[in-house]
Amino acid sequence: MMNQLRLRERSWTLGITALFLILGIWRSQQLPHFGSYEIKTIILGAVPIALLAMGQSLIIIGGGINLAIGAEALLINCLTAKFMNHTSFVHSLLIGILGLACSVLVGAITGWVISISGIADIVVTLATSFVIVGLAMVIFPIPGGGANIHFAHLVTGGGKSFVFPLFAIMVPYLVIWVPLYRSRTGISIFAIGSNKDAAFLSGVDVTRTRIKLYAFGGLFAGLSGIALTCVTLSGSAIITIANAATLYSVAASVLGGIALAGGVGGLFGPILASFVIYFIPTIMLGYGIDPAYSQIIQGALTILVVLAGGWLRLRAKRSK
Amino acid sequence: MKAILDSINYRIPKSMRSLMGILVVLFVITGFVDHYFFSFDSIGNTLQIAAPLAIFGAGQTIVMLTGGIDLSLAMTATGAIYLISVKSSSGLLVAITWAVLFCLIIGAINGIAIGIFKVNPLIMTLSMSTVLIGFFSVGISTFLKGSSHVPDVFVTLSSGYIFGPVLSWPLVVWFIVATLVLFLLTRTGLGRLIYSIGDNATAVRLAGVKVWKVQLASYILCSLFAGIGGVILGGQSGAVSIDLATSLLLPTVAAVVIGGTSIMGGMGTYTGTIMGALILAVISYLLSALNTSEALKQIIYGTIVLSLAWTYARISTNVRRH
Repeated sequence: MMNQLRLRERSWTLGITALFLILGIWRSQQLPHFGSYEIKTIILGAVPIALLAMGQSLIIIGGGINLAIGAEALLINCLTAKFMNHTSFVHSLLIGILGLACSVLVGAITGWVISISGIADIVVTLATSFVIVGLAMVIFPIPGGGANIHFAHLVTGGGKSFVFPLFAIMVPYLVIWVPLYRSRTGISIFAIGSNKDAAFLSGVDVTRTRIKLYAFGGLFAGLSGIALTCVTLSGSAIITIANAATLYSVAASVLGGIALAGGVGGLFGPILASFVIYFIPTIMLGYGIDPAYSQIIQGALTILVVLAGGWLRLRAKRSK
Repeated sequence: MKAILDSINYRIPKSMRSLMGILVVLFVITGFVDHYFFSFDSIGNTLQIAAPLAIFGAGQTIVMLTGGIDLSLAMTATGAIYLISVKSSSGLLVAITWAVLFCLIIGAINGIAIGIFKVNPLIMTLSMSTVLIGFFSVGISTFLKGSSHVPDVFVTLSSGYIFGPVLSWPLVVWFIVATLVLFLLTRTGLGRLIYSIGDNATAVRLAGVKVWKVQLASYILCSLFAGIGGVILGGQSGAVSIDLATSLLLPTVAAVVIGGTSIMGGMGTYTGTIMGALILAVISYLLSALNTSEALKQIIYGTIVLSLAWTYARISTNVRRH
């Protein structure tokens, strides 16, 4: 059974890797010149979605869902864009750390409220998404702002090299996800995701694990917000941006092979899926097609992927 | 006197009484903030605001009772009124047919995917919403080019008054919808099945019920109610745009949840949703009376929705902890 599960996970990752490669090659054929700088542009376009998708995927693995994750990223984006403007490198760095602390706190509060109120995740995060976007609008009413350019280079890299943007995705993956996956907390997260009651009876502190889960989700959202500040050098508190970001994060998680029932999956698939989501409108724009069509394709693709997932599950059950 | 009170206690469940209490308190507070609120004009206005919300809530309640959710409802509503406006040049009947067909198709796709192919309702309807946004953004400039003006009949239907400043046409529509839904949920076999598959789909399936048929019917009904709500909403604003109903999507879910319907399904009433919609309508009047900024409005709105849902979870005893 376990092996079958592994196999299915692996075949899913293979599928999404293939899709990623096909679209990547397609995009590279569109460009007149394809080098380090073009790779950098592609990665930079996908960094904020990828980080957000990692946060959402983690929360879904833990049996929840956060419809306010885009709002969290937007809040940190506005916060950092406001206070990092015209500052020194060290100052910007400190504000970045402070911003991360804020988003972790917001995440932890969300998890706490869900745990002690007994209200469904969807309802709580739906309500908090209003509150968080409101906060962002209070903090930062007019779009604008910026960041110390050297600090921004931590994500974008100064020159043509694509190494720094790649680091912006891979460092959080290796420094946060990999150790978490191997830790006690990680096992607890998988446990409450697959069966809350069983986890509780085996001695897992469900409330505490869920608070940690949402805090980690907040951490990724904060990183996404800071990455957005570094890439765009501005912030704007608009609710549609937050909602679109949440949508992308859910779509990337699903495409990346995270089972919505919780308790299964890894964060590598969602990262590749974020690139797929970035590629679709970019490639279409390259052909001069209205980007609105890409929304149709993205939505249809998500439905097809979930359909395929359900079909695979059904077949696995029959062959058992 | 005591006998009367006892009979009230017996007939109206505790949770419903607390919802009424909340509504009365909010009503009085709003009256103190804005003295103009205690007039027939304002009350009629507030009821008009509540009407589309409660009609959307009817669909959302049915779907949530089965254990699902419909997040494509706002775009379905927008699509319906959009089709009516664009196609009204070729006759009202044609336009209405288009809109009804559209709602049926969207509801059927949602229902089939969720009922037969077991796609998660949240993902299915979220993706459907994305597809529809794309479809209509493309459509505006190509195959759906035309008038964005809502036909006069529907403007009257959604904002015209019948008698005095309180009784208006949207209230009549709302009343018909409410009667239908209450009858469906409490007096018909389909209603029983909607509750029971939300409670335990496996048990219902083993009892010989085709669960997918019930789900299909629920999602189709939800889309149709979304269409009716969309017509009212479009008529109230006079012209249609693609984000007409978007801002009402989350309040719809909130109204259902505040009204005490469990998002897991199987528990709840449409009466609760009506109360939820009225509460939200009074709150939005209160917030605009307070003349706060858009940002503060959102913070207060979110906080109130959360605390109402929380209070409700406290009151209703069967809440699972941890």
